[in-house]
Formats: sequence, C-alpha cells, structure tokens
Amino acid sequence: MHFSSYLDSKRGEIKELIKELSKSFSYVSVLATDVKASLVNANRRTSSMSEGSASECGFVVKLNNGRGFYEYSTDDISGDKATLAQKIANSVAISQSLCDDQITANDIADEPLVQSFERPCDFDNYSPKQLIAFCEDIKDQLLAKDENIVNAICGLNYFTISKLFISKNKELDQFYSWINATAMVVYRNGEKMVMAREGSYSNLMSEALAELPKLLDKLVHKANRLSHAKPIVPGVYDCITDPSITGLIAHEAFGHGVEMDQFVKDRALAKQYVGKYVASPICNMHDGAAAAFSTASYFFDDDGVLAQDTQIIKDGILVNGISDLTSASELGTAPTGNGRRQSYKRKAYSRMTNTFFEAGTDKLEDMIASIKHGYMLFETDNGMEDPKNWQIQCTAQYGIEIVDGKLTDNYVAPVVMSGYVPDLLKSISMISDQFKVIGSGSCGKGYKEWVRVSDGGPALKVKVKLA
Amino acid sequence: MKHIIEILKEFPEVCNYKISQVQTSSYETFFVHKQLETVRATDTTDTSVTVYVLHDGKMGDSVFSVYASTTESELRAKIALAVEKAQLVNNQPYDLPAGETLCEQIPSNIGEMEPKELAKEIARACFDANDHPNGSLNALEIFVNKVRVHIVNGNGLDKCEQKYNCMVEAIPTWTDGESVELYECYNFSTFSYDDVKAEIAGKMQEVRDRYYATKPQINPNCTVVLNAPEIASLLWEITGELGYVSVYSHSNAYKKGDNLQDGDCDKLTVTMCGKIEGSHRNSLFDGDGVTLQDTVVIQDGVTVNYYGSNRFGQYLGEKVTGMLPCMQVSAGSVTESDLQKEPYFECVSMSGLQVDIYNDYIGGEVRLAYYFDGTKKVALTGISISGKLSEALATLRLTDKIVTSNSYRGPHRALFDKIAVI
Repeated sequence: MHFSSYLDSKRGEIKELIKELSKSFSYVSVLATDVKASLVNANRRTSSMSEGSASECGFVVKLNNGRGFYEYSTDDISGDKATLAQKIANSVAISQSLCDDQITANDIADEPLVQSFERPCDFDNYSPKQLIAFCEDIKDQLLAKDENIVNAICGLNYFTISKLFISKNKELDQFYSWINATAMVVYRNGEKMVMAREGSYSNLMSEALAELPKLLDKLVHKANRLSHAKPIVPGVYDCITDPSITGLIAHEAFGHGVEMDQFVKDRALAKQYVGKYVASPICNMHDGAAAAFSTASYFFDDDGVLAQDTQIIKDGILVNGISDLTSASELGTAPTGNGRRQSYKRKAYSRMTNTFFEAGTDKLEDMIASIKHGYMLFETDNGMEDPKNWQIQCTAQYGIEIVDGKLTDNYVAPVVMSGYVPDLLKSISMISDQFKVIGSGSCGKGYKEWVRVSDGGPALKVKVKLA
Repeated sequence: MKHIIEILKEFPEVCNYKISQVQTSSYETFFVHKQLETVRATDTTDTSVTVYVLHDGKMGDSVFSVYASTTESELRAKIALAVEKAQLVNNQPYDLPAGETLCEQIPSNIGEMEPKELAKEIARACFDANDHPNGSLNALEIFVNKVRVHIVNGNGLDKCEQKYNCMVEAIPTWTDGESVELYECYNFSTFSYDDVKAEIAGKMQEVRDRYYATKPQINPNCTVVLNAPEIASLLWEITGELGYVSVYSHSNAYKKGDNLQDGDCDKLTVTMCGKIEGSHRNSLFDGDGVTLQDTVVIQDGVTVNYYGSNRFGQYLGEKVTGMLPCMQVSAGSVTESDLQKEPYFECVSMSGLQVDIYNDYIGGEVRLAYYFDGTKKVALTGISISGKLSEALATLRLTDKIVTSNSYRGPHRALFDKIAVI
C-alpha cells in the first residue's frame, strides 16, 4: 500500500486554491488527509468487519495575515478556485466588533521543503477472510483456556494515513500505517466479574498478529488474579510503576503542562519553571514523533513541521516545551512538530506524541527489594491533567502488594493515584534500566480532541497517595 | 443518496442497506484571554453505508464511508469489498426498522442568528460573567453547530432531523499573585445570554473559592455530596450495564431484578430518554432510524428493564427502545434547608469521578470541595474520596431540586454516607 492516489491527484487544485487565497492572506497552507481505518472483531456471539470511524478524506485550509488565524475544513475543493476562495473568506469572516480584538502573530516561517515520506505497510498481504479467521481463532483459544471466561473478544484496529501538506514554499507528503491488535476476556469468579486485556501493535500486520497469540496465557492468568483482587486501603505508599504507569505519569503529570498553547493562555505552571528543577535530578523526559516508534510516530505534523525529538526534562530541570505552529507564532519560538488535529475537521493544538522518561541504571529486582510495604502498579486505565495547578489523577488497572521487598500474590484494583505533581516527580528515587514505550493509546485535551499517543519509560520508584 | 442506492441494487447479494448522512456546518471561535486567536468554519458531509448479506442462515453486515471524492467505480469497489466482508460475518439474522418517514427540526433558537453574530454574543456573555480584576477566562472556545442527520434503509425508512447546538469550553482563572483555574464545558441547544452568563459566573465563583481553598489538617468524616455532573457520570456507568449489547455479550454486571440499594435510602428511579428539557443531545431517532422509546431501567432502586439498539433488542427478544441518548432521574427527599442541618463534604470540581462497577469502587481526586461543618462552609482542595459503590448506593439521598446537566435531568445533588474523604 502506498500514498493516496486521490490526494496525489489533488496537488494541482490545492496549489490553485493557495494561489487564490494568497491574494488576501500572507500565509496559506492546505493539509489534505486520506485515512483508511478498518475494524475486525470476533467475540463469543457476534463478529464484525467494517471501516473504522477514524476513516476520513478532506482538506483543512489555514490562513494568517499577521493577526488571528483562520481555518476552513471541507471535504470538497472541486470547482472554480476563485469562487471557493471567496466562500472560505466569507465563512471565516468575524463580527466587525471583534476585528480589533485579535491576537498579533509573529511571522510564520515557511522554509522551502519538498519531500515524500513512506513507511512499509503489509496490510495488503492479508485478506478479510484471513483476518476474521485470526480473530475467531484467538477468541476460541481464549474460551477454551478457562471455563470462567464468559466472553472472549479479539479485535484488530488498523489504519493507513496519507497526508499531503502544501504551502507557498512547502510540499510534503507522508504515508504510514499502524495496527492495534487486542485480546480481551470477561471473567466471572462466583459473583465477581472482571475484564482484562492484552494487546500487540506495530506498523506491520505480520508483527502484531504474530505477537498477540503469545499473550493469551498471560491474559487469562491476569483475569483470574484480578477476580480475586481486593480494594486497596487508602494511604501514601512506596510504589514501583510499570512502564505503562510511568508513561501515564509522564503524560498526565508533565506532558500536558508543557504543551505550549497552554503557555500562551497562561494555563501551565510549567511556563514559570523553564530552567528550574521540577523533578528528581535523575529524571530525563522526552516527547516527539521522532523520539520513539509508535502509533504517534509521523514524519511531519498537521502544520507541516517535521517530526522532532524534544527533551523536556534534563537531569530534573525543565528545559523545553512542545508546540504547534500557532502557539509558536504567538510565543516567537520555533514549532516543535507537535501540531496535531483529531481530524481534518478540527483545530490543530500543541499535542504530545511519544512521551517517556529515559531509562536509568537500577535493577527492577533491587527496586522491589528496597520496599518494606508498598505496591507495584500496572497498566493505565485513565488519567486527568491539571497543568495550571499541578494536581494529578492517574488510575492503574491494578496493583500487586510488595511486602518485605518481595512481590506477593495480593492484587488490588482499581488503584487511583493522586497528589501534587512536583511532590510525585521529586519523590522518584530509583529508575530501572528497562525501558518500553507502549504504542497504542489515545489522549484528549480537556475532554475532547482525541489523538493517538504513546507513552512509557522505565520502572520508577515513587511515593504517592493511593485510593 | 439516490445514486448510492441505484448502485447498491446492482449487487444481488445485498439483502438490505442503510445509508446515514450527517451534514455539519460549524462556526468556531477560539480566544486566548480576551483576544481572538483563531476562527474556524467547517462544511462537511459524512456518508456511511451499511450493506447486509444473508448467507448460510446467518446475516453479515459491513460499513463503509462515501466521500465527495468517491467516484462511481470506487463506490462499486467499496460495495464489493463490503459484500465480501459481510459474507464472512456470521451473525444471527434480524430485521431492519421499516417504513417510517420523518423530517423534523429539533426546536432551537440558534438558527435564528447568523453564526458569527451568535458566537460573538456567546463570547460577550462569557466575558461579562467576570466582574473582578482577579478573575479571567484564560481560554475560551465557542462552537456553533448545525447538524442535519438523514437515514434511509432498504425497508423504506426515511428519516431526517436538523438540530443546532453550541458548546462553550472555558477556563475560569483566579490570579492574586499565584493563579488557579477550573475547567468548564457547557452545552446548550437554545441560547440565552443570561443563562450562559450565569453558568460562567458560577464557575468564576468556584475558581475564586479554589484559590482560597486549603488542604484540611484532618479529613472530614461526614456525608459526601456529589453534584449533577458527577451523578450523571455515576448513573451512565450503572445504566451502561443494562444496555442490550452488554447483556447479549454476557458482560453486564447487573441483571433485571437486581436491588442496587439494599438500605434505608432514597431509591433511584431512572428513565432513559430520547429528549429531556434543555439538552443538546435530544434526538428523535437513533443511528438505525429507530424512533426512541423512553424506558424506565431502574425503578425504586431495582433494575427493571434493559434498553438499546434494534439489532440487540431483537436478539434478546426485548422491546426495541433505540439507543437512548438522555437520562431522567426522579427527585429525592432532601430539601435545600435539610442540607443545612448536618455536616457534609460537597465535591464541586473533580478530576473525573472514578467508578469501577466490577470492583465495586467509587472515588476520585477532588479539585474543589465545600466542607460544611454544621455552621459554616469552607473551601478545601488537595483531597480525594474513596468508597465501595454498593455500600454508598445503599445510603443514597437525593435532593428535591431538579436540574439539567448535558444529557442528565434529575436531582441537583446526591448525598452518600460510607464514602471516605482521604
């Protein structure tokens, strides 16, 4: 599979439209998207094979004239371009009384660059028949493993993304793919019912499909243990975070707080802490589409800025934020390749991509051995940011009790971590030498604007309030 | 749509079809402090086609999208691929809704104004809500949406509805040396300058209180009060377990006849609805075109009905209610004056109420709470709540005052014992 032939065919029309709009605006760009998403699913009683809701095909025009920004999203740019340019200008016109209340933007860098990017994709090697058979087989394997499994589900969520970005001086296109393969069970133990899941992911179908079957025994064992999980006694504990929870902390505790559109709005306390200690001196944190390989690894962002690896925290000191074109223009900084849209229908914001702590030097077993009584926390459920006030809430799927330096068989679920971000980050006392970025998640900004993200890192030893 | 139907008829394997078209036009303004940063407009049409194929005594379906760019030959290829996929899907057959026609507009005054003028008026109401130099809206996003939904199927169903809605996302902030903020998301389908101003003014008061809120030396041990948004969040979790899909897939934590409240308390009566007063989610029909049928799912604390879509309703032999987007909850016994008779801890702003029905858990981080000790009310922050859901529900008391919060209409406040403040 390769870059969208439809988008390829639209280059001329897009350039014509840019030429027309450039008569009225100093900066004009068009992002065109063609996303083909698919879902395959089998469970005990039903199955399905359809296009995914993330499928889209459309255009977003971005305009600037030194003051505020204008955007117009449409699924059709056919027809006379002068007429369309006029329609766009009319559609984004503002009430006269607001004209004087617009921001002032700095000049937008539009350095000449023409480049194509493509990542290998093997989705064409798999027929619908093979994919549904795979899901049915995983489902049957799971159901055969334990009579307490009341339902087993296998799902494949895969997509290809073609994006074309054209401005006066730039012409970029990219094609890449991703698949998340998920196995899930509903497990009943007496009156108690639990759900558990495992997943594999890759840009290649072959890799994701090869990995998932290896996780089924682990999944069933986990479901069994979760069915015996007890509520945690609320309190402050020494904890070890697995890479998923480490990533959740990186993402919620600090990632949202360094999205620089929040700096512009004075919504992030981090703005005042650039160059200052915000975490333990052994902490290093990154974000960037080019910083790791995952579902959030693109070649250029939705503003046409090339992907980067941004170091956010260096030796405990906050050194950089991440930005989209608009916020960078307002701040007078260079954009970092983090301008992302939920779809062509939505605004671009400063968004995280792959967010993680760097590995340390400690051995996981030494970290566990260092805890008299505490918990090891596993698997992200959800989290909520509060970049202005640095409160944090992160929910782990489960924890396992540590007693006298050893992991027990005592599971607790769910586990909600909360507290003050600097307290949490400065409590990091050990960092493992293992490292993993979990490449299959999604994230909203506030309660909307969902984009694909990954996060992760090593295991951390922290002290945190659990409930 | 006619063109798509004509081509669908070329495929004899297709025993039925559904076409769903959503046309959206929006006008959006994004403010940084009081300055306009971005103006957006959208003009898009989303068309999705579902083909149904009967094979081997089973029924399969598959969905695909059609774009403005989709050519006739591409459309034929998409249908052929969808037929191939549907033939691999072995589901129990069911009937699509038949024959009904409808074309209506959900009542709203939003279409009466030019979108850019309405957006300006909404912004004015929001900024006018702050009358103190220490208060501000550091960010404000306004969305004015016009949505037309049109659904047809091969059984002669042809329904459309046009709706308007607005969304305001505001960040009320209080600065006095240091600075704190809260998050506000307010949806409405009928514009009133006074209502918008009052909503934002309420949040401005709360963010001021958050600024002066303190972390308690000793955590209160008293009744915990949740407000309408959190009550809605809790009840959506519970009623989600009563959906036909959950029941059919055996993943429902609750079944008909379960007593959710084994205690001396206000018993919940919850009705899932198509429309409630003042909600932006009001609809006449669901994604299959099924006319929505209000359904009582919890009566006096006992689960009495399931609800859900055409397909899974038929699988379960239950009445087809449609996917009901709203919820109505009966009033309780607690008056505002009753509230002043005992200490309580009111969760005003939370990071997000955490409810885990499988693990019998309710809790979450509280960004702003009011603690009433029986005589005076103080603002608190930096705390969490945690409890067993079943034990908390058995102590539930609901206020007699009814409010609307997005897709929820019901008691303004819910009072729980046996939830700890930690």
